[in-house]
Amino acid sequence: MSVTDEVQPRAALRQPSRWELPFGSIATSIASLLAALVLTGIVILVLGANPIQAYGAILSGALGNPYNTGLTLMVATPLILTGLAAAIPFSARVWNIGGEGQLYAGAIASVLVALTFTGLGAVPLTILSIACGILAGGFWGAIGGALRVFAGANEVIVTLMLNFVALTVADYVITGPWAQNISPQTRNIPKGVTLPTIWPHTAVDLGLILAVIAAGIVFVLMRRTPLGLAIRACGFNPDAARLAGFSLGSIIMTAFAIGGACAGLAGAILVIGVNRALVPDISANYGYIGIAVALIAGLRPLWILPGALLFAIITVGGNNLTASSNISTSVSLIIEAIFVIFLLAFRVIRLQEATS
Amino acid sequence: MGADVPLEPAVLDDVIQPGPRVSAPEIAMRAIVKRYGTVVADDGVDFDLHPGEIHALLGENGAGKTTLMKILFGMVRPDSGQILVDGDEVQFKSPRDALARRIGMVHQHFMLVPQFTVAENVVLGSKPSWDMNLRRGDIENDVRAVGEKFGIRIDPGQRVATLPIDVQQRVEILKLLYRGATTLILDEPTAALGPAEIEQLFVSLRDLSASGHSVVIITHKLSEVMAIADRVTVLRQGKVVKVAARGSFNAEDLAVAMVGHAIREVTSTPRGSDDEGATLDVRELVVTGDKGHVAVDRVSFGVRAGEIVGVAGVEGNGQVELAQALSGLRRPAAGSLVIGGRDMTSADPRTLHRNGVSIITEDRLRWDLIPDLTVAENLALSSVASGGYARAGLLRRRAMRGAAERLMDEYGIQPPIPLLPAGSLSGGNQQKLVLARELSRNPRVLVVAQPTRGLDVAASEFVHRRLLQLREENCAILLFSLDLAELLALSDRIIVLYRGRIAHQGDVRDLTTTDVARAMAGMSGAA
Repeated sequence: MSVTDEVQPRAALRQPSRWELPFGSIATSIASLLAALVLTGIVILVLGANPIQAYGAILSGALGNPYNTGLTLMVATPLILTGLAAAIPFSARVWNIGGEGQLYAGAIASVLVALTFTGLGAVPLTILSIACGILAGGFWGAIGGALRVFAGANEVIVTLMLNFVALTVADYVITGPWAQNISPQTRNIPKGVTLPTIWPHTAVDLGLILAVIAAGIVFVLMRRTPLGLAIRACGFNPDAARLAGFSLGSIIMTAFAIGGACAGLAGAILVIGVNRALVPDISANYGYIGIAVALIAGLRPLWILPGALLFAIITVGGNNLTASSNISTSVSLIIEAIFVIFLLAFRVIRLQEATS
Repeated sequence: MGADVPLEPAVLDDVIQPGPRVSAPEIAMRAIVKRYGTVVADDGVDFDLHPGEIHALLGENGAGKTTLMKILFGMVRPDSGQILVDGDEVQFKSPRDALARRIGMVHQHFMLVPQFTVAENVVLGSKPSWDMNLRRGDIENDVRAVGEKFGIRIDPGQRVATLPIDVQQRVEILKLLYRGATTLILDEPTAALGPAEIEQLFVSLRDLSASGHSVVIITHKLSEVMAIADRVTVLRQGKVVKVAARGSFNAEDLAVAMVGHAIREVTSTPRGSDDEGATLDVRELVVTGDKGHVAVDRVSFGVRAGEIVGVAGVEGNGQVELAQALSGLRRPAAGSLVIGGRDMTSADPRTLHRNGVSIITEDRLRWDLIPDLTVAENLALSSVASGGYARAGLLRRRAMRGAAERLMDEYGIQPPIPLLPAGSLSGGNQQKLVLARELSRNPRVLVVAQPTRGLDVAASEFVHRRLLQLREENCAILLFSLDLAELLALSDRIIVLYRGRIAHQGDVRDLTTTDVARAMAGMSGAA
């Protein structure tokens, strides 16, 4: 991939930095979480509520009864997938901020397929719809990767901008020829096209299984395949990877495409399983929260499962705060934000230890 | 106000007149030892610095020059040894202590805040922050006054980011003078400068020397020593090999002292050879360096199968750029590179790799190894890159581990655990790891740089034997080394690079150490 070779050497001149990857240990993540809980506890005190009670409210709101637990798992599902979408390119030391857009690309593709090929049987159409969602997400990710590889563009900016493009396309689909005309959304997908519920009387459907399987596949991919070794080699020391004969450009493109495919699956699951149509704000910032999930999991595919669950608990449980502690639900956002800040701060401290 | 720069006029009056210096050394370092793990950076080094002299500390990379001066500047604590300043024994715990004894150092990479003005940079850190007057006009006047006193003219109001590199260097020097330093240590001060800027720097340094400041220049360039040094101390592998005053050294002596005398330990039997039918054929190659200068200038040579061609030269004469061009890491600006009859002039590393070219660079942690991956993964890396160890899309990890175990045994890599991260091995074992990977591919062409740098005697010997064995197996080997002894021991032919050109070349049987050293020092027409 001679095109990257032109782009790489400048950046390659810096020393390989041992501290950059992987993103710290699980211990760091736990310490960051505790620190965030303490600091947010002070905020809650200032707001005039009891922090212990508030945290109890979050837990019971998220896991207190089967229905709420189901909601939490439903939210965790896309977070697992967007976490993977960030973690795979991050492992190659390229930054995919485009999980949100890749999710939307998947959602758009799967809703259009489900609304168009209605002549197919329900099960084949479901499978086709999901497959197209995955492909569309992968394609959207690959665009970001291609711009990085062939044009030397900064992938952070490119993938971020592509989010807005995907969002705008989604707006067009929602208001355009596929609009439902009653509420702002597309027409509902055919009845049979659905993901079966796997836990009766809750919102948990087959999507959760798909997400867990995806995490397992990514684990095998990263640890047990030549491609995974190439991605890790590229992330740890791109110079050495290139000299050993790897093509950095195709590794980066592939990492973005696979990451995007994961986010695309999240979009398909949200359309087919949860919303049954493309609706505005179908993603509650799942693409961005996925970045935090990938970071707290130290980019380890299997640790992304508990990581996603944790963020789902804070998000869903936060809705219970107003009812039980009379404080705003945005306190849960504060916890998430402080959590990530601590995580990054611990990284910097470790960096300073490493260099002094 | 900070206007009164703490400088004792007495110091200046004392040594106004240059000439033979019989004064006692102002700084004396005695038997300094510093080890990093198993590597000895400085091994019982004595170093004297007299008031008002410009003293060059000469040596190859890794000879221990910078470490020695970092010890003097309080940045590194020695394991043993004494430092005397004006006869008092001192123990510097930090650069602050060194500055208190008027010793200052300009690092190779400047420590300036680009967004600040010259004056702000100069004043920054000179006093506790609560005691600092930051009124712009005041500090600019102070800094201007100090600059004028020492003939260093810079507009103190300019932002550092807008200044060219040589002016930034003057800001660094000014910073030290402002703090009252009378001993200036400059680490490779000319590395980033062009010829005119170097000349100007030397003028400033001579002025400072004339006003009683002593200057240490850390360098590996002979021409600079010849141009400016009153005295020179040559370090090799952590030991002082030569101390001489101006008039009693010449470039040739220094080159020999710096690279060492040839002692042929491993005896290769050189074969006469020429470029005819070369496996690796380089014609009129031009390669530009990082600063856009011509680093390799119309170089032509060939390496035949079963031949080792050594590339000699003082560091920084185009070796790195040439090696990178041959590795596909740097695209040549002109000329051609033909390997086994195929044009590879702008081939990428991948293509070269597939055509049987192996590369071992001088910086194994940077280019050859991935320290975070395991030994087995590192050993398999290039095979995996060309599709090896794969079955049904999965890595054949057991096969990888088996192959790793065999190679680790064959090359004596310790500890023999394939699943350790490569970064946890010692330097010698890392180098064996790289050799094991590249040599086990049975390359047609091997480009290898500094294969024994930092290795102990036993490991070096092992590497040498392997290279000679590879030569027997008809590989064409191009060996870059700063160690002349190594080159003379292994090579069939030697080419000497000086300022990017081949200054001298010949069959190793017809060459003497002196010939090569002279050519390395840029004395054309070696005897």
